[in-house]
Amino acid sequence: MDDIYDQIKEFLDKGETLAVATIVSTRGSTPREVGAKMAVTAWGEILGTIGGGCGEADVRREAIEVIRTRKPKVVQVDLLDDISSDSPAVCGGIMNVFIDPWWKGAEETPKKDERVD
Amino acid sequence: MIEELISIQKAHVSAVLATVVDGGKDGLVQSGAKCLVRDGRIQAGTIQDEGLQAAILKEAEARLQDERSKLVSLDLPSPGGKVEVYFDVMLSPPKLIVVGAGHIAVPLAKFAKLLDFHVTVIDDRILFANRERFPDVDEVTVGDMAETLKGISITPYTYIVLITRGHKYDEPCLREIMRSAAKYLGMIGSKRRVKACFHRFKEEEKFAEEIIQRVYAPIGLDLHAETPEEIAVAIIAEIIQVRRGGGKGGSLSRH
Repeated sequence: MDDIYDQIKEFLDKGETLAVATIVSTRGSTPREVGAKMAVTAWGEILGTIGGGCGEADVRREAIEVIRTRKPKVVQVDLLDDISSDSPAVCGGIMNVFIDPWWKGAEETPKKDERVD
Repeated sequence: MIEELISIQKAHVSAVLATVVDGGKDGLVQSGAKCLVRDGRIQAGTIQDEGLQAAILKEAEARLQDERSKLVSLDLPSPGGKVEVYFDVMLSPPKLIVVGAGHIAVPLAKFAKLLDFHVTVIDDRILFANRERFPDVDEVTVGDMAETLKGISITPYTYIVLITRGHKYDEPCLREIMRSAAKYLGMIGSKRRVKACFHRFKEEEKFAEEIIQRVYAPIGLDLHAETPEEIAVAIIAEIIQVRRGGGKGGSLSRH
C-alpha cells in the first residue's frame, strides 16, 4: 500500500483521471479496516485493494462513474446481504467507501467559486 | 498534492490528509476538498475556510496521537453547520533494530520485512552481519553493538530486539536503550538470567522500577517455541501485540 501514491502519480502524469476509493467507516466485521485504499482507472483497472469480493466490484463500478462525472461520492457496501452466498468476502459488516476523483491540475480549479450562484 | 504525499512517504515522516467527504447541507464546503497537515501546519490543500482549517489542525493532532484514520464530524463556526471530514493518518513506518545476527535474527528480519518494517541488523561479526545472510533488510551494520546503538535515532516508532550471543553483550546494549523513546524493547534470556540482570540494574545502577518494567524479557509470546524460526514467530507476534496495543496473545477460541 505504501507505494500506491507513486502508482497514482504515474497515471496522473499521463493525464488520466483516477478514482481513489478509501474505506472511511465500518460497522461490524469487514475484510479490511478504515484507511484501506484502492485506485481505479477509467478502464476499471485496480491498484491496491479494499478487501476483494462483490463489495470491491461494486465500488469499482461506482468509481468508473465517478471518473466520468468527476464528482466524489460515498458508497455504502453492505456485506450482510449475501451472507448465504459462497463469496469469500462475506463478513457480515457494512463499510462506507469514499470515492474521490483525482486528476492533474484538480487543485488549480477554483472550487470555491464554482458554487457561487 | 500527490507530490507532497509521495515526499512524506519517502521521508518516513508522519502526516494527516484531511478530505471533506460531505460538505454539509448547502454545500458549505466542496466535497473532495483536501488539506495536508504535517508538523502541525497545513502543507498543501484546497480548503480555504479558515475556521475549518483550524478545526482540521486540531483534529489532525488528535488523530496522530491516536494513530488511527477516522471519519469525523466537524462544526463550521461560520456560517455554521456540520461537515464530515475523513482524516487519513500516514504514520512513519515502524523500524525494527535487531541486535545480534545469529540464528533467530534471520527469520525475524524476514518476518519484519513482510510486515513492512524498516529493518536494521547489527552485529560485531561480519561473518554474521552481512548481505548474504540478510539480503532483504534495509541496513546491516558491523561494529560494537552498544556503540552502534548510541548513534542510532530511536523514536516512538522504533522496536528493538536484543538477541546477541550472550548476556555479556545484551546487557550493555540494554543499558544504552533503556531510557530511549522506543516503543518496544525486548531481550532474550532465561527467566533466571533476566531476573539476575534486572536485579543488578536496580541495585547497582539505580534504574527505576518503571524503566525496568518496560523491557520485554524473557522475550516473545508464550508459544512453547523451540526452533529459531518458531522463536522468531513468538518475538514478531509480541511486537505486533505491542504495536496494535492489545490482545492477550492466546487463541481467539480459547479462554
